Amino acid sequence: MKRKQWGRSAISLMIISGLILGGCSSGTGGKKDTAPEGAASNAVSKEGFPIVQEPIKLKMFTRIAPVNGPFKDMPVFQDYEKMSNVQVEFIEAPTDGFQEKKNLLFASNELPDVLYRSGLTPLEAVRYGAGGQLIPLEDLIRDYAPNLTRLMEEYPEIRAAITTPEGHIYAIPGIVTLGSARTDKKWINRAWLEKLKLQVPETTDELYDVLVAFRDQDPNGNGQKDEIPMTARVGLHIVTMMSGSFGLDQQFGYNINIVDDKVEIWMGSERNKEMLMYLNKLYKEKLLDPEVFSHTEAQYLAKQGSGKTGVFFDQTNNNFLPIADQYEGMAPPAGPHGDRMQSQASPVPRDPGAYAITSENKHPEASIRWIDYFYSDEGSTLLRFGREGEHYELKDGIPYYKEEYSTSETQPKITPYAGGGAPHLISEQVSSYINPPQVQDAQKKLDPFMPEIRYAAPMFDEKTAQEVNILRNDIDKYYEEQSTKFIAGALSFDKWEEFQSTLKKMKMDQLQQLYQDAYDKMKK
Amino acid sequence: MNNMEAPPGANLPPSRPNRGSRLLVQMAKRYDLYLMLLLPIAWYLIFHYGPLYGLQIAFKNFNPAKGIFGSEWVGFEHFTRFFDSYYFWRLLRNTLTINLISLLLAFPIPIMLALLVNEIRSKAYSKWLQNITYIPHFISVVVIVGILTVMLSVNGPLNMLIQTFGGDPVRFMESASWFKTIFIGSNIWQNMGWQSIIYIAALSGINPQLYEAAKIDGASRMRRIWHVSLPGIVPVIVILLILDVGQFMNIGFEKILLMQNNLNLEASDVISTFVYTTGILKGEYSYTAAIGLFNSVINLTLLLLVNRFARKTSETSLW
Repeated sequence: MKRKQWGRSAISLMIISGLILGGCSSGTGGKKDTAPEGAASNAVSKEGFPIVQEPIKLKMFTRIAPVNGPFKDMPVFQDYEKMSNVQVEFIEAPTDGFQEKKNLLFASNELPDVLYRSGLTPLEAVRYGAGGQLIPLEDLIRDYAPNLTRLMEEYPEIRAAITTPEGHIYAIPGIVTLGSARTDKKWINRAWLEKLKLQVPETTDELYDVLVAFRDQDPNGNGQKDEIPMTARVGLHIVTMMSGSFGLDQQFGYNINIVDDKVEIWMGSERNKEMLMYLNKLYKEKLLDPEVFSHTEAQYLAKQGSGKTGVFFDQTNNNFLPIADQYEGMAPPAGPHGDRMQSQASPVPRDPGAYAITSENKHPEASIRWIDYFYSDEGSTLLRFGREGEHYELKDGIPYYKEEYSTSETQPKITPYAGGGAPHLISEQVSSYINPPQVQDAQKKLDPFMPEIRYAAPMFDEKTAQEVNILRNDIDKYYEEQSTKFIAGALSFDKWEEFQSTLKKMKMDQLQQLYQDAYDKMKK
Repeated sequence: MNNMEAPPGANLPPSRPNRGSRLLVQMAKRYDLYLMLLLPIAWYLIFHYGPLYGLQIAFKNFNPAKGIFGSEWVGFEHFTRFFDSYYFWRLLRNTLTINLISLLLAFPIPIMLALLVNEIRSKAYSKWLQNITYIPHFISVVVIVGILTVMLSVNGPLNMLIQTFGGDPVRFMESASWFKTIFIGSNIWQNMGWQSIIYIAALSGINPQLYEAAKIDGASRMRRIWHVSLPGIVPVIVILLILDVGQFMNIGFEKILLMQNNLNLEASDVISTFVYTTGILKGEYSYTAAIGLFNSVINLTLLLLVNRFARKTSETSLW
């Protein structure tokens, strides 16, 4: 009893300082040159396989989603090891707590060779890159990654999104050339609409009426009021999905509008107030799922497949396949000022920081060669579909999963892309599963309303990145908490001015200026 | 508990001029005991004092690649940032109120329970009561919060009950005004039995003759509790109070974190969870080390104050 209490009394210090205990060894560990010593005897081939003649070993730290099985059992890694002569040992960390484990790796300087599917934010990439824990990749990419180089030439925004002002690339993103894999579709229950003889809503007011009908008129016909008119991922996903109807864009991966070369962070704007009031109305009248701020991802996915939801948002129809024919995609509804935009849309480099090489790595060339394969259609097919004949079949040159691997239980076990964020190329060629005709149709509804240009989160230099980080830590926490409270009605809109002035006090203007500078630099 | 009341040095004879060598002689005589002492000392040095050197990152811009010693000094920058932060007052207020209310409500209840158990004549019944009350202590925090979430959800049993009596369902877990009640209430429910064990043990150590004497003098049951039982366990109460104050600022970190959401953050955001979410999840090690240090300094001050107060008023104290 007593000892426990003594231990606790120092816990906050202990956590911080104890974790860093290993940091003292960095004097010797961190100074490794990026030049590989073993390279002379075991040359890395510039093309073709195997990558190296003598087998080498790499330790990769990776995130494993709840739906995945162990990576070592996946056909792609088994086959690729034989092809490439690179043996990969995966250190798997589950999605829950992944961020924490990743940070601790860096803080304790006990680094793996590679971070795979690591979701490093641009801020993290710059911080750890400038600190020397991640090595710059731009020369390696030029010399050893033909597929990636070709993609970067075809889509110049990729290079812009991942290169720091100093010209370094510290992490490689997951690249998505398929438009429909960059948006969350707005799925609406067509069966219910037909039953209640309603039209697909074209405006936010019509959407409101439809949701009221869903709530009151028992569209699933079981005599109970168990319908959930509208739901979304936990938290402020609903804001991301609806903001386009209120003229609020999502540039730079943040709450930013860009009008006439002017960057505007819209969190304190009147438009945002209108949107929050609209969402508050939906929430208050139980049109928006009361659990939208508390349910887990698994519960949300279960709701998609339950047939009890009217409107929800997701990239594909994979989570509700058995009842997919009930639903169809709809266009963004027009807002009170006539705004009609699909503001939620990811850039081509969709998953930032998906692959990075640390200073511990003795084989950086081989590591780059290893990942580059997955940025070709051939490699991506292996990663996403496994072995031809065993897991997939080709129809007209396009791979399709065999029956037994096309369910939401079996499919995520054979590929590391399920669960998101894997470093590879997602193109038309490899998208039969995530882009079936139904999803294509839903995307077509969105297409006319897509923003002309989609800027990825900008790369700042180290000092600015730190500044942005400090500002955003406070502002984002405040914004998320207050928005949630506005929507849930825990905070009245009388407090709006206070909300605005607090944002100002937290130096939102300064943050806006930093983004403006980044934008100006990019335009030059 | 033993080494608190009788520290190892207490048995030494009064000091003489050649004290150092006498001490060595004494130690040599009882070398086996001192060898046993080595282990706890090593534990404290390695796990409690050793990591203290990392504290310096509170005054530096910690960069993992440069290590703790290599990072540059920035003085009190992180402290100023925290004191100027929007969250400073809220964190301090929540940390203090949650702990103060816990102390006021949760501290006396185990004492009352112990007195109650002590007065029950039927052995079987008192054992049964003890077991029932301390079993919840062994449930993990995660499970407790899971139970709370289910019991208090909008469609949960409690809200069903409220609705059958014509009330409107209450979003207990998602409201700032309910947070402290739920948090402290469930803490009391979970821990009162366990914490009463020490008091029950202390009560059983009271000389039965005192009770008999009181009975003969015609003291009622309440009188006997008031004049015999309570004074008998006052030293234990004081020591436990001081120990509780010792962890004043850090209580229930895991549980608060698990119960936190954006809707109750107004009441549930405390220093220790802030350190975790900002420090570990967002990688701001120096900033949160400074916050943690600030937290510990307050805690230490409180501990010293309470200890001094206890020494003056009741002659019982930690040191």
